[in-house]
Amino acid sequence: MKEIRKDVVVVGGGPSGLAATAKLAELGYDVALVESGDELGGILIQCIHDGFGTKLFGKALSGPEFAGNFIEKVRGLGTDTFLQTHVTSVERRDGHWILEAVSPKEVIKFISKAIVYATGCRERTPFEILVGGTRPAGVYTAGMVQRLVNLYGLLPGKRVLIVGGGDVGMIVARHLYLEGVEDLLVVFPEPWFVGLPRNVQQCILDFGIPFRPRTIVKEIVGKEKVKGAILVKVDENWRPIKGTEEFYPCDSVVFSVGLVPNASKLEELGADIDPRTRGPVVNEYFETTLKGVFAVGNLLTPFDYVDDAVETAFIAAEGVSKFLNNEPKREKPLPIRPGRKVRLYIPHRIEWLQGRDLTLFFRPSVEEANAKISLKLGDQEVYYTRRPYVRPSLLERIVLPRDRIGEKDGEVVLDVE
Amino acid sequence: MSLEGKVKKVLEKYRGRDLSFTIKDGVVFLYGQVDTYDEWVEIGLEVGKIKGVEGVVNKVVWKGFPEEKIREKEERRKKIFEENKDKTVGSYDVLIIGGGVIGTAIARELSRYKLKVAILEKSTDIATGTTKANNGMIHSGIEAPRNTLKRRLNVKGCRMYEQWARELNFKYKMVGSVWLITPRTLEKYRKYFPGPLYTLILKYVLPYVVVLKAWLNGVPGVKVVRGSKIFELEPYAARDTLAAVYVPWTGIVEPYEVAVALAENAAKNGVEIFTNTEVVGFLKDGERVTGVVTNRGTFLCRYVVNAAGLYADEIAEMAGSPEYTIHPRRGVIVLFHKTTGSYVRHCLAEIVLPQHPRTKGGGINPTPNGNVIWGPTAVEVPDKEDVSVDPEEVQLILTKYSTILSEFPKQKLIRYFAGVRAATFTEDFVIRPAKWVPNLLHVAGIQSPGLASAPAIAEYAIEKLAEMGLELQEKPDFNPYREPIPSLRDMKPSDVEELIKKDPRWGHVVCECELVTEAEILEAVKRGARTLDAVKRRTRAGMGECQGGRCTIKIAMIISRELGVPFSQVLKEEAPLFNGYVRGESE
Repeated sequence: MKEIRKDVVVVGGGPSGLAATAKLAELGYDVALVESGDELGGILIQCIHDGFGTKLFGKALSGPEFAGNFIEKVRGLGTDTFLQTHVTSVERRDGHWILEAVSPKEVIKFISKAIVYATGCRERTPFEILVGGTRPAGVYTAGMVQRLVNLYGLLPGKRVLIVGGGDVGMIVARHLYLEGVEDLLVVFPEPWFVGLPRNVQQCILDFGIPFRPRTIVKEIVGKEKVKGAILVKVDENWRPIKGTEEFYPCDSVVFSVGLVPNASKLEELGADIDPRTRGPVVNEYFETTLKGVFAVGNLLTPFDYVDDAVETAFIAAEGVSKFLNNEPKREKPLPIRPGRKVRLYIPHRIEWLQGRDLTLFFRPSVEEANAKISLKLGDQEVYYTRRPYVRPSLLERIVLPRDRIGEKDGEVVLDVE
Repeated sequence: MSLEGKVKKVLEKYRGRDLSFTIKDGVVFLYGQVDTYDEWVEIGLEVGKIKGVEGVVNKVVWKGFPEEKIREKEERRKKIFEENKDKTVGSYDVLIIGGGVIGTAIARELSRYKLKVAILEKSTDIATGTTKANNGMIHSGIEAPRNTLKRRLNVKGCRMYEQWARELNFKYKMVGSVWLITPRTLEKYRKYFPGPLYTLILKYVLPYVVVLKAWLNGVPGVKVVRGSKIFELEPYAARDTLAAVYVPWTGIVEPYEVAVALAENAAKNGVEIFTNTEVVGFLKDGERVTGVVTNRGTFLCRYVVNAAGLYADEIAEMAGSPEYTIHPRRGVIVLFHKTTGSYVRHCLAEIVLPQHPRTKGGGINPTPNGNVIWGPTAVEVPDKEDVSVDPEEVQLILTKYSTILSEFPKQKLIRYFAGVRAATFTEDFVIRPAKWVPNLLHVAGIQSPGLASAPAIAEYAIEKLAEMGLELQEKPDFNPYREPIPSLRDMKPSDVEELIKKDPRWGHVVCECELVTEAEILEAVKRGARTLDAVKRRTRAGMGECQGGRCTIKIAMIISRELGVPFSQVLKEEAPLFNGYVRGESE
């Protein structure tokens, strides 16, 4: 077995893994980037629409263009990248992380001081939202359809029902419309689309794609191939309204019902998992509860903007540096807790004594106009900011100056008023 | 009282309905009309319970009876029959209709002898019917009623699994089962046992009733467990458990893996397996069957085994010996992610009397691959092919079993599915020579515990065939062993390295959730997998938490390449996965 010693191994070659790799290499560390797929770029490879990079580069790039920037950077830095290389086991031994990986060429044993996990997220399946009926050919997730259409030139069907009113669902609807799908319908349980307003306009309204709010799929119908779906209206608590069932004929059902961090491997390794995000519990540099194991990007929680995901990678790279330099941590971590109106948030605690200002991301649990976002430490409000509007579909980003916290103990509570 | 008298008496309860019956050689034929499907089932079951009834053919119709659909089916069969009855495919000693776990078990058993045997399976793969949606439990034989064939074959069959697993190399674990007795166990009868009596009975009487039942059924070694010992066995079991019964014999398998292993070994020993081969009729010479007509042509034969599962009644009727009607009983099973495996060590169930009509027989089971499954339910359905899942049924399962395992992380649900049991109205296995076709053997009504009984069913079926005149001459070169597809999951790094040197595809992971390599998929295709689901059953590719979200396209591409079929024509099970090319692109 080939042994490779590194300062850091980055697992996952999507945008966040690439960004972490580039940053670590720039900081002078010996990094290996391990990607299980055939090429770098992650999910962005199949995202041929634009809108990536507005925050980071000030322009709307396509997915491959955005990824290309980082791929070139990583290549330019001469970093070791391992494609088609799948990490099969990880363990801690003698103060190091040992990662075993297989590739068509060989079995590799990486011996590393730190790991950055950038394994992204997966799509929620129809099972996770308890859709009934059968599972014949013709049931897909949105990501699968995007891949099918954009990379292989295949259509899922001619009459397509799209389930989910988020960004991914809307973007896929537009793609299918442009590629010649004859009948399209988008359904979702919320009163209105939950994705970015620009997507509602540019993907749905501009093309006149039909949609039905407050509607869910109760059952999929068809034994071997999808024949249709039973749609049902729901009330404001998403409970089906009896008597509103309707059979909708179609040959494909595409689910775009949310993303879940790919954290199972981290969980098996013993990392704490946050039931809210379903990603790992992390500190302000996105280090997990395992020593020297960091998590970045959509593995933390699915981001609305790849730019934000990439930012976590940059921050984590600095964290790796602090870890490798043995910089001092607090005696006790300072926990961050959610207030009543916070659905999920990262990071979960502050662990280092010194360092950069704290970047926090969170989703509110309610819609709120003229919202005040605050952070309290004990009775003291250490930070607040205002937003004209917050809502669950938008991931908020705030930055807390570190000096507001100092070395104080207690707990920080994040809330929206 | 005569059999006629007994049947008449039962039907008297349904006065007002237009019902009649005839009896031939112990088989009761029911005619007439009822209002509901439930009533149709109930009448069949009532008649089936009568002592001396050897079969119930329920020709009664209910309101909404799919007459048109049945006529279409018959016409379709007739057409295929006419087209194929004169084309001979080959000549066989024994033809087995149905490639489920029973058909493949019988085939493998027959492959020990100097016989020409074939399996005729209408689907694209073996194990696509009842077998694939079973919970994989190898029952010990306590539950089956006394004086039934299923009890006898269950008790015997479950003990034969160890040898099967050793020879055929499928995953089998004898985990044992734990039955919990809790304050809910006799809730309905609580009023008869005032004060502390109720707990005393649950703790000190009921467990021994179960042990006695086990002993009477021929299942030794059953133990009563109380106090902290219960939680040593099952640390997450309900805290209010009063006593438990431990049964050492219970095992677990992946049912489709068993059938695949049996089929592979049977094929290795000369059995021919014809998939996509649907039986549409029979050629007869007097009472005897001389040929089985399919969409592929006619298979001439000396003996026929009817192991057609849900369709056994239709096959029996086509052959000229209708002796039972199948009333499909659907069960829903919920599957959880591998990270939940540590919550359950045995097949776990709570004894609740009387049993809930929709969940009786179900429980919480570990699987050989580390997942956990809850269920199944039991619901009578008119349509044999109805494998749809009612979301309320999933909720029912999640609620019901939560009481015995409250800390279980239910959000780790990754899939649910339904299977349909092929029950007859006599609710016992029907393994006997057909009454009116001397060279046809029925192996029908194989409901729970059919999987557990399968090895004994195969043996018993062959005894019957011998009694029917089939000569069994052992083959000196019979090879009982089957090699499994090696799996990256179970390999040491040094083994992987060796394989990669021979073929780099052993290092190419295609399914990340279940760690399945391209080489494993190729091996599955080489062994006969033709569809995405067939590959899945042989390799587990797509069985993980993303449910094929990431690997489906990759696997479809491999199948397309290996079989030389267009990407858009790759099948899921019976139908293509994808629809066609985007605008502007040609095939």
